[in-house]
Amino acid sequence: MQNAKDTFYITLRSRLATVNPARVMTLRSVSRPGILVADAEPPMPQPILDAFSLSWTGLEADLQLPAILVQMTCEIQYSTAGTVLNAGLDRGRTLEEMDYEILKLLYPYSAQKMNYAQNPAVAMDTMVFWSEPQFGPAVTLRDRLSRSVRVTVFAFQEQGEL
Amino acid sequence: MSTSTITPMPALPPVGRSVRAYFAPVDRVHHLPTLFDPSVNGRFSVSAPPAPWIALGWIENFVRKSASKFADLVTGSPGTAQFQVRQTVDATVAFRFKAWSKLSMALAAGSQHMNLIVPASGAAPNGSGSKGVPPVNLTAGSTATFLSLAASDAAGFSAGSLVTVDVDYAAQTGYVGSGVYAAYVTSAAAVNSDPDYVRRVTFNVARVTSVVTTGSAPGLTLAQPLLAGVPAATMRVQPISGFVDREGGSFFQEWSALFVIDGEQGERILFHYPRLQSMAGPAESATALASPLERIALDATFRALPVTDANDGEQVVCFRSFLPSPVALV
Repeated sequence: MQNAKDTFYITLRSRLATVNPARVMTLRSVSRPGILVADAEPPMPQPILDAFSLSWTGLEADLQLPAILVQMTCEIQYSTAGTVLNAGLDRGRTLEEMDYEILKLLYPYSAQKMNYAQNPAVAMDTMVFWSEPQFGPAVTLRDRLSRSVRVTVFAFQEQGEL
Repeated sequence: MSTSTITPMPALPPVGRSVRAYFAPVDRVHHLPTLFDPSVNGRFSVSAPPAPWIALGWIENFVRKSASKFADLVTGSPGTAQFQVRQTVDATVAFRFKAWSKLSMALAAGSQHMNLIVPASGAAPNGSGSKGVPPVNLTAGSTATFLSLAASDAAGFSAGSLVTVDVDYAAQTGYVGSGVYAAYVTSAAAVNSDPDYVRRVTFNVARVTSVVTTGSAPGLTLAQPLLAGVPAATMRVQPISGFVDREGGSFFQEWSALFVIDGEQGERILFHYPRLQSMAGPAESATALASPLERIALDATFRALPVTDANDGEQVVCFRSFLPSPVALV
């Protein structure tokens, strides 16, 4: 399952670098595409603005298939306060930009499963695939607009895979 | 000397999770199904069925129906039913195959199931596949999982490709196909005397895991053993890209079937149909996963045909066996 999670994250991160190279964040003194996996970063009191944060929540498995089909829920959260240049009055627009970026990051809805625990990464036999996004409502908290998107990620467990 | 004792439980309702399906060929020429004897093999490991049974995994929506008809014999005035008779013996079974494979697709389709032979250059298009690339010959040393070929022939295949392995069609009539009878040919003209016809319908197919083109033993290593076992020297090999079935056709697949439900307390229920023939054309149904993703299953419906029980000469279409839990009263 970890290979599927890693593949999903790296796929979205690679696509983000193409879709919007300007969306970068600095985390632990490293500048990188503005997308992170929450459980792979230190706890944060507030979400990073203008970046996508992936959280793995639900998990189901269909054991009655020739290979186990796992179904994992990924919640992608993002927040924005708009730009300083516009005194935050453009936060609706910047949220809409991120909504559109999510659509572009998720399509195509599949990727070759990779084992990133090895260096260089090794292509596995099956594809990771996912549902279309379910957008939650925009939530306002003081000067911030946030949204959560739910995606269900599927992968077949391969022989010997952890 | 010591003996162990048990404290028996009352008979309990079986609680099972799912149904597993196993199929085995029927010798159509000699009308010999594969019989499953629950007194011998009833407790077989579900992941290692006894030969020649082939595991087709879990199935869903499993429904058995008895369609036998009964009548009463009425005598006296007023008429009173005094006896019952069986007018007909009939049964059907329906379920969905979760996984698609050559065998599950053929069983569900019910008629001839064809292999899509990689087409020859410029071949005329055809719904069930056009004329294929020329087959290659086997050389000595082939096994059920290794096809020995000339190095130059092996070089025409790649790891991951699919192959069909069977004899040339040579104007024979009747059942054709090695290992499993895959079709019935009424005349050579009906199949255009196509030398590839047997390879087009055969169940003797496999995926190639590796190709050796150098050294003393060039050939193809297969991911799964061929259904017909060690290939005959007269068999030839062609690459295929997939499978096709049709609504229509005159042939009926006939297979022996075994369905197993394991109970949570160690009991086992087995349903054995020595002869099943499909009674519906190809159909599928979808199970929603997460919109718009759906899992597509193969719908299958069969009619059970009779065999004679050697114990008492009765004509029956199905055997239901129950192996009780080790601790339950019977």
